[in-house]
Amino acid sequence: MADEIIYLDYAATTPVDRRVAELMLECRETRFANPASNHRAGRESAATVDHASRQLAALLNVDPATLVWTSGATESDNLAIAGGARYRAHRGRHLVTMPTEHKAVTDVFRMLEKQGFEVTWLAPDSRGLLDPDDFARALRADTQLASIMYVNNETGVIQDIEAIGSICRERDVLFHVDAAQAAGKMSMDLGVMPVDLLSLTGHKFYGPKGIGALYIADRPGCRVEPILFGGGQQQRIRPGTLPTDLIAGLGFAAEIAASRMDEDMRHLEALRERLVAGIRDVAGLLVNGDAEGGFPGIVNVSVDDIEGESLLLAMDPVCVATGSACNSRVREPSYVLRALGRSDRLAESAIRFSFGRQTQCEDVEFAARRYCDAVARLRELAPEAA
Amino acid sequence: MSDDPYSPLVREYFAAPAHAGNLADGVTAGIGAQGVRVALSGSESDGRIRALRFRAWGCPHLIAACECFCRRYEGQPVGSLVAFRAADIMQILPVPVEKTGRILVLEDAVRSLGQRFGGTSAPN
Repeated sequence: MADEIIYLDYAATTPVDRRVAELMLECRETRFANPASNHRAGRESAATVDHASRQLAALLNVDPATLVWTSGATESDNLAIAGGARYRAHRGRHLVTMPTEHKAVTDVFRMLEKQGFEVTWLAPDSRGLLDPDDFARALRADTQLASIMYVNNETGVIQDIEAIGSICRERDVLFHVDAAQAAGKMSMDLGVMPVDLLSLTGHKFYGPKGIGALYIADRPGCRVEPILFGGGQQQRIRPGTLPTDLIAGLGFAAEIAASRMDEDMRHLEALRERLVAGIRDVAGLLVNGDAEGGFPGIVNVSVDDIEGESLLLAMDPVCVATGSACNSRVREPSYVLRALGRSDRLAESAIRFSFGRQTQCEDVEFAARRYCDAVARLRELAPEAA
Repeated sequence: MSDDPYSPLVREYFAAPAHAGNLADGVTAGIGAQGVRVALSGSESDGRIRALRFRAWGCPHLIAACECFCRRYEGQPVGSLVAFRAADIMQILPVPVEKTGRILVLEDAVRSLGQRFGGTSAPN
């Protein structure tokens, strides 16, 4: 087993489901025509896109017409936040978010700040949770848009989307949710949830990379201005030739996810329990996030006085993440963990374990032993602190 | 794996640092700077380094550099320690240039050890 890779980085990306891959291959060979083309082959491609829209819509319990295909969650986040803020800029220029959001969200808000919007950055508690009362107090008469993620990609913390969304509805604030880590994994009924805009991506739930979607609720005042230009596709909200094979893959992945969501969740819960049992006796262990209430597919832990890069290499062949994958080539403490009040040293030692369908109990047990051994070895190797 | 940040030698030395530890009856030198810590201990016999051990807190390159130093300097004249150059180890492993500061902490520790053995200052 030691020579095999133990992949515990499902929060970064998931393998494509074999059935999804087969469907995509078939699409590339038989439904390659441009779905915007007004001939028989084009109409067949368009029908494939429509079918995928219905599959994704069923997962979210929304009208297929409310879905816009994008290149992934990053583009969806950009379109929702920049497009939503600009659409409502004539009403006001105050926006609300958190510093613990994904960079695909925080960097858009920083860009908007440079363009004259005012952003309130709401601090989480030590677990990473946002108090809805704090959120309500941050809203102003000129607040037009708020963006709060569903499941944090580093810690697995789940925000109270229902409560925050309800406040937004009461105050007529456009509410965007980055659900990249939640879609296809957690049950969400957007037919009743107070969410206006929701971003997701296929590769987090066993679909292909390079395809995502933005849900735009069909209600007054809920619109976005396009951020891309060049064609009339998707009601000009997001122009560009639709990648039929990727869309078919995402749609099928959504259908599969819906059919086995409870089973997947029980599997993740069992894996989390086993991992935590295996590492809980490590001296100085600190769980980053909500130890009991978080998403069970992500466990993020730090330990005192261990250097993160050495810990990561000592874990080999267990593939885990330090910080978020988007930042992992830059050795700097996770900004998410720093926002939770962790010291640079604790943030640097953070390891994110994330599981998925293919993860076996023995993989997690191996990883737990590897983690314990690595911490013990690095502590043994370290000189006394001055 | 072409962009593996660790060479096979770094991986080998990091995974199995045979010189990790300390010599109870040895001369010691320790330095903490640049966010890392290095402690060396050594013993000598007839003007030559008989044994070297290290402890380190830092990245894999630093740990591998410490192990590399110990392997190369056991059996060498004690006086060679004060002339130790981190650049040589960085080339052997190799170590990326952005980690130079950390490896210079090892250089300072080695030279300090050499001085404690009674060696002369390094030539300019």
